[in-house]
Amino acid sequence: MIATPSPRLGRLGSLGGEHRHRLGSFGGLGIALVAWALYAVYFGPTQGWTFFFQLTVNGIILGSIYALIALGYSMVYGILKLLNFAHGDVYMIGSFIGFGILTLLGGALSPAIPVVLLVLIMFVAAMLGSGVLGVAIERFAYRPLRNAPRIAPLISALGVAFFLENSALLLFGAQYRNYDGYDLISYNGIHIGGVTGIFVSYLGVIVISTAVVLMVALVCLVRFTRFGKAMRAVSFDREAAAMMGIDTDRVIAKTFFAGSALAGAAGVMFGLLFSQIYYLIGFLAGLKGFTAAVVGGIGSIPGAMLGGLLVGMVESWAQGYLNGNVADLVVFGILIAFMLVRPTGLLGSPALQKV
Amino acid sequence: MAEATPPPADAPAPATGQIGVDSWVSESGERQQRYTGPWGQVARVWDRLPPAGKLALITPAILVPFIPFVSTGNLFNYGIFILIYALLALGLNVVVGFAGLLDLGYVAFFGFGAYTYAFLSGTHSEKGHVYTHHWPAELAIPVAVVVCGVLGVFLGSTSRRLLGDYLAIVTLFFGQAFVVFTNAADPYGITNGSNGLANIDPLRFSFFGYSVTIASVRGYYWFLFGCVVLVLILLHLLSESRTGRAWKASREDPLAAELMGMPVNRLKIMAFALGAMIAGLAGTTFAAAQTGAFPQNFSTQVLILIYAVVILGGAGSLTGMLVGAAVIIASNQVLDSTSPPQLQRVLFYLALIVGFCWLFRKSWKQLVTVIVLTVGLGFAVHAIAAEWWPRGVHGAVTSGGFLTGAIKQWVLLPVDSTRIADYAYLLAIVLAVALTQLKGWWRVAIAPFLFVITVFVWENLLIVQPAVTRYVLFGALLIALMAARPQGLFGTARVEIV
Amino acid sequence: MLKRVGALAVIATAFAVAVSTTAWGSSKAPAKSAAATKTVNCGKVRTIGIAAPLTGPASSIGVQQLHWAQYFVKRWNKAKANKNQQIKLIQGDTQLGVDTAFAVKVANSFSSNSKVLAVVGPAGSQEVVASTKTYKGGGLAWVSGSATRTTLTDGHTDGNRIGYFFRVVPNDSVQGPTVANYMINKLKWKRVYIIDDQETYSQGLADGVQKILQNKGVSVTRNSISQTASDFSSVIAKIPSNTQGVYIPWQLAPQAQAFGQQLKAAGKSSIKLFGSDGLFSPDWKIGGSYDSFFPVNTNDPVVKAFANAHGGDGQYFGAPSYVAAQVEANAITSACKAGHGKTSRAAVRKLIAKTKLKSSILGFGVSFSKGGDLKGGGFGVYQIQSNGSFKRIG
Repeated sequence: MIATPSPRLGRLGSLGGEHRHRLGSFGGLGIALVAWALYAVYFGPTQGWTFFFQLTVNGIILGSIYALIALGYSMVYGILKLLNFAHGDVYMIGSFIGFGILTLLGGALSPAIPVVLLVLIMFVAAMLGSGVLGVAIERFAYRPLRNAPRIAPLISALGVAFFLENSALLLFGAQYRNYDGYDLISYNGIHIGGVTGIFVSYLGVIVISTAVVLMVALVCLVRFTRFGKAMRAVSFDREAAAMMGIDTDRVIAKTFFAGSALAGAAGVMFGLLFSQIYYLIGFLAGLKGFTAAVVGGIGSIPGAMLGGLLVGMVESWAQGYLNGNVADLVVFGILIAFMLVRPTGLLGSPALQKV
Repeated sequence: MAEATPPPADAPAPATGQIGVDSWVSESGERQQRYTGPWGQVARVWDRLPPAGKLALITPAILVPFIPFVSTGNLFNYGIFILIYALLALGLNVVVGFAGLLDLGYVAFFGFGAYTYAFLSGTHSEKGHVYTHHWPAELAIPVAVVVCGVLGVFLGSTSRRLLGDYLAIVTLFFGQAFVVFTNAADPYGITNGSNGLANIDPLRFSFFGYSVTIASVRGYYWFLFGCVVLVLILLHLLSESRTGRAWKASREDPLAAELMGMPVNRLKIMAFALGAMIAGLAGTTFAAAQTGAFPQNFSTQVLILIYAVVILGGAGSLTGMLVGAAVIIASNQVLDSTSPPQLQRVLFYLALIVGFCWLFRKSWKQLVTVIVLTVGLGFAVHAIAAEWWPRGVHGAVTSGGFLTGAIKQWVLLPVDSTRIADYAYLLAIVLAVALTQLKGWWRVAIAPFLFVITVFVWENLLIVQPAVTRYVLFGALLIALMAARPQGLFGTARVEIV
Repeated sequence: MLKRVGALAVIATAFAVAVSTTAWGSSKAPAKSAAATKTVNCGKVRTIGIAAPLTGPASSIGVQQLHWAQYFVKRWNKAKANKNQQIKLIQGDTQLGVDTAFAVKVANSFSSNSKVLAVVGPAGSQEVVASTKTYKGGGLAWVSGSATRTTLTDGHTDGNRIGYFFRVVPNDSVQGPTVANYMINKLKWKRVYIIDDQETYSQGLADGVQKILQNKGVSVTRNSISQTASDFSSVIAKIPSNTQGVYIPWQLAPQAQAFGQQLKAAGKSSIKLFGSDGLFSPDWKIGGSYDSFFPVNTNDPVVKAFANAHGGDGQYFGAPSYVAAQVEANAITSACKAGHGKTSRAAVRKLIAKTKLKSSILGFGVSFSKGGDLKGGGFGVYQIQSNGSFKRIG
């Protein structure tokens, strides 16, 4: 985990503070969720368990996309303490790369090669492309600012985000492009609980499984490889890691690559699932993914995954139970309230100020 | 990113990122460098002026050119917007520059001020509710400003629990929530949804029986001018006062400031509130000048523009806000689709030439070589293309004006340029980045290619959509500024105390 | 001490300057613009401005409007009879959906350009409202091909622009009843779900249709999504499976396409979609869906030639701009003739108000009521065929 255990607690951490901290937050979350489920099913505008679970499943699918984006934010924050506003636009570029490959190879209605291969190529190309873009952004926009005041890389990130969005507008135009993902793969899906039960499309299953595979791969990378160890070391203390012989520049670049590759994959998934892409999706998804990272505890990988799922589900529930007009507002309100109650997120560690 | 010039041997080395070294000390080497040569004399006189003197010189120089000789259309586009953004930048300067808090929801206060004024100055009916208020401006404006102040206090109070980045996130959400609130949520129809509040009264002041209505563009211009001057004075006095010093202290090191007895939390809230009130004032006048308030007026693009102004001018410096507003908003307007393309061209080419000259300012020989190579390369490429790829040179010049002839001779203009212009754009970015990484004669080798390709991309892609181009340029400006000169034009270089 | 005195002196002077200049700036009465009646030399080339969203989220419709207006100008200028009365178009990008301030800026720049005699556009109803004062101040007439909010022409609800604003398309109060009546009488729907996209145009239409349907006893549920939304799964989950039709008066065709696909993927493909004129585009190709649009005659040679010149894409949403430009060109030419080579914006306005075109490419003739609304004119109902083309069915 790229979470920094508090040095103050050291080996006594298991006795106090931290785990109780965590238990409290999980407990509170669990109770809140159960209470909400009961309220929604029995007293909500549309009642019934089927509807609730359908929304939850939709939320999980959406949430896995947010989780992938949130992972990128968390990893970068853990390593550089930088909020990378441009991450959402890397995701957008990833989705456009996927679309480009799709169009090159015949389009959704008449693919020139088998569908499985096509989708695989789209994913790989988008991940590579986004990864390289992420590394380039780090190299040219953030590296010169390693020692600058904290506000400088944030402004630079804003600048990069703006630059990418408008370059995409310039190069691709403002009209929406359609992946037609359902035409490509299938309109059918799994019915749980009979025809009137919960419906999960095959595309949704593919999205969830790909997301799970990628997240497992990332966790393995961070936990079991030398590179992962280097990443954790650099996130804990960059100078000490450098003194230990770790090439921090390379580690940071590779982290950016990994995070951006995940975002690229998320972009392709978004395109397949919801079909329409345009130059502004990065901003919106970035905002949500960002929220997810913060809700889960920024800097923490499991936190990002959990946060992503939560944000996806909250958004789905809000859209389902409330009128479209107020749904977005309610989601923002919940998030602001959450930030005020628990600024460090669910799985993050309390921020320590070095004196 | 900027080339480091070696300081003279006897000056202390400039310190970056070291613990406990402050900016004045770190700049001493730079200061000794600065006063040499003719520019040095100018710089020395400028540095000696008291802030009031600097302000007195800058303000008329920027704002007075928009005297009655300018047409109403231009006055509206340039003058009024420059002043509004100057006001906004001054307000944001309080939050970001003085108090060091990153507020990404600032545009929401702008919007609140505009909407409050619009609500109180017109008849609106939506969703079955009819609201009729026609308050005179001397009531409506203070109410709007106070409402924004209260909201600023509210947002600022969240900064108690949230530090730095987290505060940025919450303020960002606040900004987004505002847009959703006015556009979609629209409770009881008070904001009239995506229609916005339209047809509001112009500013109408009545004091002691004497009534003044500001309805013309010129009137708004001078009113805004007055507001800007007043806010400038207010901020100048504030920054020299106890509160200003306390803000600066809490910006540099909140913990130390707290220990010194400064109420850091209260200071943060005050900064938010003051910034919000100034934004509210700007909002009211904006709504009056536009005769309406619409949700899209307060989008993230506006926020980025305000930040660009503040960053370019230098966070913390009042003069910088004015200069930044003038530069950014003027270029924003020049690169708008309603401006004549000749003007856009002239400015672009001037900027390009100045940029290249500045890049090679250190060496005569390099500069001359680059110029010669560039001109030659352009003609060579054009000639080759005319021979082997005729379609490459028969395109049309987009609204050329007096430069059409020159452009046709020197620049490739493909007949259907979209695809190749896109690739050229990417190539130009790659080359520009490469240029910043290389030094010496490698630069001279790449510069002509970059110049030719940039002009090609400009003529075929950028000038066709100037409104989008300007945002691309602003984004690039922010990146370059942070890398080369984070303190902007007039700010003071800060050193992060770790 | 001196510094303080200096500062105070600066304050005092600045304040005095500010107050006096404000007073001076405002005591000039808002000029009842002389620009309206100022005579302009017609010359051989007359200028029309076009205000449309050329960039930004609504650029797809703005570019269509621009193309059609340019097409008209090209045809007009080619005609031999118009050799000495050419028309020139200048563009203004209003960036609908980004910032209404742009519409006002464009209005200002057209107003202050004395050569501009009339304006085509703007596209959005809220842009019309925002720029009314500016256009009126400049005395300009503006003819819109897409601003359909009903209250724009009643003279009091959101401003008085009678005599200045005209539109060549029927307003929402015509499209709504056409759609609702078709649903009730021909499709015989009893359970309808209405989703608007939180924009002016959409909400107005949705409100109108909802009211009529409910009055006739149809059960209606109303919801909304934002124009930036892509995930419709929750909204779709809310739609009861026995709904017969979903009315989606949206502006963005690809969004409707994505919605239709997600609806089908959720297993609710028996529910039919009904769109509005903003969705009349090849980007929306859900077979079996209905759409309301002006009765454009796609076999009309003018329309066909346009489609051929644009790679088969008819871009029909912009067709009204062709008619708007036509109305203005006719008025300007007559005004210049009547004034012997000199005319004013006021004269052009009066002639626009008196326009009488027997027919237009939109399938109906053009003449204006007192408020500036189109007299007559109706909507047709189309259905999307399996090959994606639209066929007129009602």
